[in-house]
Amino acid sequence: MSSSWIAEIRAVAQKEWRSERRAQHGLWTAGLFSVTAVTGMAFASFGQRPPPTLAAGMLAVTLLFTAVTAVPRTFLAEEEQGTMDLLRLLGRPETIYLGKMLYVLVQLLAQTVILSTLFVGLTSTPVVEPTVLVAGLAGYAFALATIVSFAGALAAGATNRWLLAGAVGMPLLLPAVAMAVGVLRVGFGAGFVSGAIQSGLSLLGFGVLAFASAPWMLRGLWGRDQ
Amino acid sequence: MLTANGLGRRFGPRWIFRGIDLRLDPGDCLLVRGNNGSGKSTLLKVVAGLLARTEGTLHRPVALGYAALDLAVYANLTGIEHLELAGRLRGEARTPAESLHGVGLTDAAHQVAGNYSSGMRARLKLALALAHDPELLLLDEPSAALDEEGRAIVANALADHRQRGVAIVATNDDRDLAWATHELILDR
Repeated sequence: MSSSWIAEIRAVAQKEWRSERRAQHGLWTAGLFSVTAVTGMAFASFGQRPPPTLAAGMLAVTLLFTAVTAVPRTFLAEEEQGTMDLLRLLGRPETIYLGKMLYVLVQLLAQTVILSTLFVGLTSTPVVEPTVLVAGLAGYAFALATIVSFAGALAAGATNRWLLAGAVGMPLLLPAVAMAVGVLRVGFGAGFVSGAIQSGLSLLGFGVLAFASAPWMLRGLWGRDQ
Repeated sequence: MLTANGLGRRFGPRWIFRGIDLRLDPGDCLLVRGNNGSGKSTLLKVVAGLLARTEGTLHRPVALGYAALDLAVYANLTGIEHLELAGRLRGEARTPAESLHGVGLTDAAHQVAGNYSSGMRARLKLALALAHDPELLLLDEPSAALDEEGRAIVANALADHRQRGVAIVATNDDRDLAWATHELILDR
């Protein structure tokens, strides 16, 4: 990756951060949803520790919906606001995609740290394999960021883009959730580390596949005529 | 510079325009006229690469500038941040401050574009279109939202760029583009 590409990716990510910091509705929505969901789960399991697999499932689903709130901020909102044409004129599809994905990833990682800490603290779920849990959460955040960006970018140009983003995202996100549960449950004390490694590698491969294929696929989808 | 042969664009079964032939050399200025819905804006978007052509061939320079009424800017970014973003993505011939000065937006450089008037947004879009010294400039009704001062700034900027060999394609601006060298009338 050349220094020009890195500078372009950083410029797009910085643009996303500036827009988000000033508008704030996306951050607030994601934050409020996350905290409400985790607090609700803590109340629901008050006085009893959820079994490791259930805890892994609850955390994975909460993180999934937190990621889904990031979809509009990737590509769909650009099309709705009419600013996608400006981006198309200024930059390359590959670096625009990667810059947007970088922003989503950083935000998701931050949300994952906050959410997981809250979850473990409020539900008193013991962390048996902290390394597995942290690695699993990082891999899950990466997979979610790539898939959410991929689905948003793929659907952005369509007339029924919101529906299409869901239709594309759902079959891609469900396997990621299953794989994430496979890793996180080991972190919470169920199953074996070897199983977590297998699920973790599958999760990572899934994310890498979306990460690698999206930018080049987009060039053909964005209506550019080069 | 710009050549198109048999250019056509269709939405569903409806042809917006068809059989357009264009040839522009450096410094040429093409004025595209036509009624509302005749396909002027669509033609410019096709030439800019924002819409794919349905048929025909098109050769255009890589460095092109495009400004249009329906091109949106980021409401939460300041004028100077727009130019900085453009500079980092495609490399600019002048600094963001110089670009904004050129369209009379120096005083509003640090205001978010959401607080700009429609005329100020039109000037910002022109600054973005001109900042990288394009070889081809595509302007969809460039002075539609501008006051007299804005129209004078745009006219001067275009005359200056044309003298430097920039080819210009503009729609419906016969008052400010009286020096057009070519004319295309789209009529449906």
